[in-house]
Amino acid sequence: MNLENFSPSVRRTLAISEKETFHILRDLRALAVSFVLPIVLLVLFGYGVSFDLDKAPLAIVDLDNTPASHNLVRNLTANQEFLVEDWLKDPNDVVTSFRRSRTLGALVIPRHFSANIEKGKSTDIQLLVDGSSGTVAGSLLGSLAAFVQSESENIAYKKTLQKSRPLLKTEVTLQYNPALQSAIFFVPGLVAFVLAIVAVLLTSLTVAKEWERGNMEQLFATPVTRLEVVLGKLLPYLAIGCLQALLVLAVGMGVFDVPMVGNPLLLAFATLLFMIGMLGHGLFLSVVTRNQMLATLGAAFTTILPTILLSGFLYPISNMPRILQVLSLIFPARYFMTILRAILLKGSTFQDLWPHFIGLAAFSIIVIAGARARFVRRIA
Amino acid sequence: MSENPMQNENAIHVSNLERKFGDFFAVRDVNFEVRRGEFFGYLGANGAGKSTTIRMLCGLLAPTNGTALVAGIDVAKNPNAVKRRIGYMSQKFSLYPDLPVEENLRFFAGAYGLSGKTLLHKIDSILDETGLTNHRKTITSELAGGWQQRVALGNSLLHNPEILFLDEPTAGVDPASRREFIDIVKHRVQQGATAFLTTHYLDEAEFCERVGLMASGRLVTLGSPQELKSRHVPGDFWILQTNRAQQIKKQLLNMRPSVFSAHPYGKGLRVRTVSGLFDHNSLTHFLHSFDANAICAKGSASLDDVFHTVVKEDDNTAGEK
Ligand SMILES: Nc1ncnc2c1ncn2[C@@H]1O[C@H](COP(=O)(O)OP(=O)(O)OP(=O)(O)O)[C@@H](O)[C@H]1O
Ligand SMILES: [Mg+2]
Repeated sequence: MNLENFSPSVRRTLAISEKETFHILRDLRALAVSFVLPIVLLVLFGYGVSFDLDKAPLAIVDLDNTPASHNLVRNLTANQEFLVEDWLKDPNDVVTSFRRSRTLGALVIPRHFSANIEKGKSTDIQLLVDGSSGTVAGSLLGSLAAFVQSESENIAYKKTLQKSRPLLKTEVTLQYNPALQSAIFFVPGLVAFVLAIVAVLLTSLTVAKEWERGNMEQLFATPVTRLEVVLGKLLPYLAIGCLQALLVLAVGMGVFDVPMVGNPLLLAFATLLFMIGMLGHGLFLSVVTRNQMLATLGAAFTTILPTILLSGFLYPISNMPRILQVLSLIFPARYFMTILRAILLKGSTFQDLWPHFIGLAAFSIIVIAGARARFVRRIA
Repeated sequence: MSENPMQNENAIHVSNLERKFGDFFAVRDVNFEVRRGEFFGYLGANGAGKSTTIRMLCGLLAPTNGTALVAGIDVAKNPNAVKRRIGYMSQKFSLYPDLPVEENLRFFAGAYGLSGKTLLHKIDSILDETGLTNHRKTITSELAGGWQQRVALGNSLLHNPEILFLDEPTAGVDPASRREFIDIVKHRVQQGATAFLTTHYLDEAEFCERVGLMASGRLVTLGSPQELKSRHVPGDFWILQTNRAQQIKKQLLNMRPSVFSAHPYGKGLRVRTVSGLFDHNSLTHFLHSFDANAICAKGSASLDDVFHTVVKEDDNTAGEK
């Protein structure tokens, strides 16, 4: 590349970017970790720490013990969603099974189950779920209830087959994420999370360090301007962040079948905007604190935590207390998460999402302007 | 290169320069000039205000009063124009220790706006000038302290600055390395650059054409080392070797004010007297009346003497106020 054609300002900015790249390449291990970590997290979230029900362990208390009750249990385990872990004789033993964490839910089939069906009388089936298992409890309860509902409809249908078709049949359709796979929710969250980490890296490893070491003073004795320092430092990290975001998306799409319904360019634009905001935020912190430890701590608290907790990544914003809902409006992670999910899963357009884009842009502008303003050239 | 209308001006012209931090005067009413091509030394104890002065001259710190013209340009008004024409080596460690020598130079060359072939040639010539060619690929943190200082010096020479500001560049470095370092700077001065060097080492100040001495934020004296010596510590210096130093010292000090001072020196004494008070014979004669084996030899003033005298005077006058 022939840099001699560029203006001195561009040359100086690129010199800073180049040096920053040297620093990054000096520490290949950190670079490798920063690429591997998000993939590990994605796989963990995608497979392991899943909210999906895959072979959820159940206890069965079959007090009826008839072909009809056996049939019910067989249907329950047919699609791998549930796995019978305990066969119990006494409903009171369910609590013990829960306490030993052997099972998460239980189905109690009452005596006279089959007799009642024959007579066309309604029967109460008891469902028990271990509430301490958190989110899983909710989906388990939902699935079990849905199963019992559909079984009862089937039974009713068979019984009335000769006469007429069933009058009512509920059908629940989940829009956009039919299998309710966690990975599809996690990929957007992880993209935001990874970018937040890059922002922390920038602050802790680069800018605050230069203040601490006294490099900044030497730098200011050259004709380099503050904007050149800010931009020169942002560029390489922006590139790394974008590569990581791409990697997470690619793995999400390739391995976990995350769809890309919307416009990839719009997605790229949102990512860039979010990234600039995150990096600007990190820069702002290190300019204000001029101290590696403080800047890193501050960045962790104000970028990573809100990205995990206040963005809708793990907990839906609508379920949060009012104060936290208002607080989440300050952090760009919320807007970004909404945009990502909407573009990936729903194919939303800019017309649908523009207020969120404004949220992202506003944050970026405020923090970068703040960083530049506090970046006092005269080190007084 | 743009032509310089101030060709005959001084390289540095400082008048009434002042910097306050809160109520504290770090630099107070400082006035001096440095000629083009001069090797200028700036001395002072810890906290005297040397770094504060240099940072104001480099456009890194705004003065609270007074003006500084560097290369004919008012620093406060146009710091960027000044920065292009000066080289600055800060007192703090300013290199990137994780990068090789070459990449440190490359970065600063870029920061000064060099690029392409010019940049590569410049780096080669700086490595050669500072004797670092064999270390170009060495990671900077693996170099010895004296060599690291050369890299830092190289960084500040990349753009052929007219004026070099070196803030205690040789602090903590062994004497041989210090000498070599100063030689690199001297060579630049011979080629027309101006050097402004702060230091704690008085032997280093002896090389300087002129020396300014700071104490408590003020410039208390200024001149060539020779001028400073004859101004502040006039008279004759004698080195005495004797086993009866205590007794002889007492006798000599009885002759004040003809004898200015007598201090322990090795096992003997170092004595300053009014010029011409003794010659070799008369002093030997005097000594032998106390110690038959005493020997004396002519000594000479050092900047150390100047420094101690001036700082003491400054303390005394400060005490009188
Ligand atoms: N940014 C600052 N804020 C407050 N006081 C300062 C600041 N910078 C310097 N000082 C004070 O100004 C005085 C002069 O400091 P300066 O660094 O100029 O001394 P120096 O002659 O360079 O000393 P040294 O030989 O230790 O480098 C010191 O008392 C110092 O504490
Ligand atoms: Mg200093």
